[in-house]
Amino acid sequence: MEYWKNENEPIEMFVKMFEKIYEDPELAPGFKKVNQLILFDYTQDGPNCCFYIDTRAGELKVGPGKPGEDPALVMSLSADDAHRSWSNKMNAVMAITRKKIKVKGSATGLLKLAPQLKKIAVIYNGILKESGKENIIL
Amino acid sequence: MKYLEYEFDPFFTWVNRPKIMYGPGLRSEIGFELNQLGGTRALVVTDKGLVNAGVAKMVTDAIEASGDLELAGVFDEVMQDARIGIINKGAAFYRECKADCIVAVGGGSVMDSAKAINILIDAEADDFGPFAAQLGLYDGARQLPPHIALPTTAGTGCEVTYAMVVLDEENHAKLGVAHPFCNADIAMLDPELMVKLPPKITAFTGIDALTHAIEGATALTREPIADAMCLHAIRLVCKFLPLAVKEPDNISARGHMLMASNLAGMGFINALTGGVHATAHALGGIYGIPHGLANSIMLPWVMEFNSEEDPERFVMVADAMGIDTKDKDPADVAKEAVQAVRDLIKEIGLTETLRDFNVPAEREQLTALVELAYSDSQAPYNPRELTEDAIFDLYLKAI
Repeated sequence: MEYWKNENEPIEMFVKMFEKIYEDPELAPGFKKVNQLILFDYTQDGPNCCFYIDTRAGELKVGPGKPGEDPALVMSLSADDAHRSWSNKMNAVMAITRKKIKVKGSATGLLKLAPQLKKIAVIYNGILKESGKENIIL
Repeated sequence: MKYLEYEFDPFFTWVNRPKIMYGPGLRSEIGFELNQLGGTRALVVTDKGLVNAGVAKMVTDAIEASGDLELAGVFDEVMQDARIGIINKGAAFYRECKADCIVAVGGGSVMDSAKAINILIDAEADDFGPFAAQLGLYDGARQLPPHIALPTTAGTGCEVTYAMVVLDEENHAKLGVAHPFCNADIAMLDPELMVKLPPKITAFTGIDALTHAIEGATALTREPIADAMCLHAIRLVCKFLPLAVKEPDNISARGHMLMASNLAGMGFINALTGGVHATAHALGGIYGIPHGLANSIMLPWVMEFNSEEDPERFVMVADAMGIDTKDKDPADVAKEAVQAVRDLIKEIGLTETLRDFNVPAEREQLTALVELAYSDSQAPYNPRELTEDAIFDLYLKAI
């Protein structure tokens, strides 16, 4: 991995990022509308390198590892590409066409959040800074 | 003018799979070409309008006369917009009539439906719904059964694009779905198939091609190969669209418009589009406005909005339109380009307002439309940030 020392690091950052996103009055309503259990699967970089978000029934949850039930959507990519993606430095269409991102299930809900990536990247960069990882900010 | 230098993404890919053939009367080659691809029994996918106009028959006659290919059947149930239920029926009909290849004869809805039918056939599946929801069908994708497309409109460029737009009827939304092998193996451009196209459809499909070309040349993801395609498409549309509208039998004008649509299709599928498509998709999903017509109404407003922030982006577009750009302020040039689009739309007799489609003029009633446009797959590629407020304003201007 180019940006991470081990498989736990990226998951810690992404979980913190979602906890912050859920507190954001502008971003949270959009995630509620997604109304899905989604697994972000980075296990190509380690068996535990994954996390999930559960935005069903008006609630916003996030947790490391795999969820207890089958997700409606699995987004599989590398932890480095996940870093690029949450940093808003990745062209999603290009990444899908080059199989850098694999999508299994319905991605229509998540697509609705694409325009929010700019704001999400600001939150993500803030988390990286707080965690002493300024060196990987893109 | 001096070619405008700009920084494009440090990495981009250019994809264009289909073989392209052009010629009046080219349909006589369908049998030979499909045979070369391994096809023996062709399903013609079309719509009732083309059957009634005798255009589908021009193609089925050519297939039957070829001696190389059997006509397995004609599926003519495609309606405006590719719809999942109809795609599923088309795949069932393909199997029922034991076809082994597809000939798509029609505009964007027909050609996109044919792509989806072919994906279902290859996957041995019955329902396109789960495929559409994945948006990108790249994992495990492989070459699909033989498929030739003959466009009967010059607008969508669907004969070459490796994606399709499918109407999600339940959610009133249009979904862009990509598959690396979904486009036709051969795009056959036969302008004789277009002479019966009514002037109004000729007009708005032509503006669809112009929109692809302008957005492809100005999107955030623009790149030089797409520029070459899109800028020449702009030249062709500006010169030949008025002629094709006025003289439907003019094979030369029809042929040049087919080329414009094809070039713009190759350009935008690689460089992507932007705000016109994002707002037009939402108008199609909620109000059922034909895609080309929605593009036509939104194009000048979105161009104006984008050029206010970055007029230089529109200098090459203006140049391709035939506007003198030498020693002029880019902001003035961009304004002239917007005006030239408005003049063209007026000249070919298209409406310029969403009022004609009962789109409400009150901001509060536009919320669903704005949300849909904001989340459209093409919105992120618009050169100027499209906030929800900006989309509201664009719609209000277009009403």
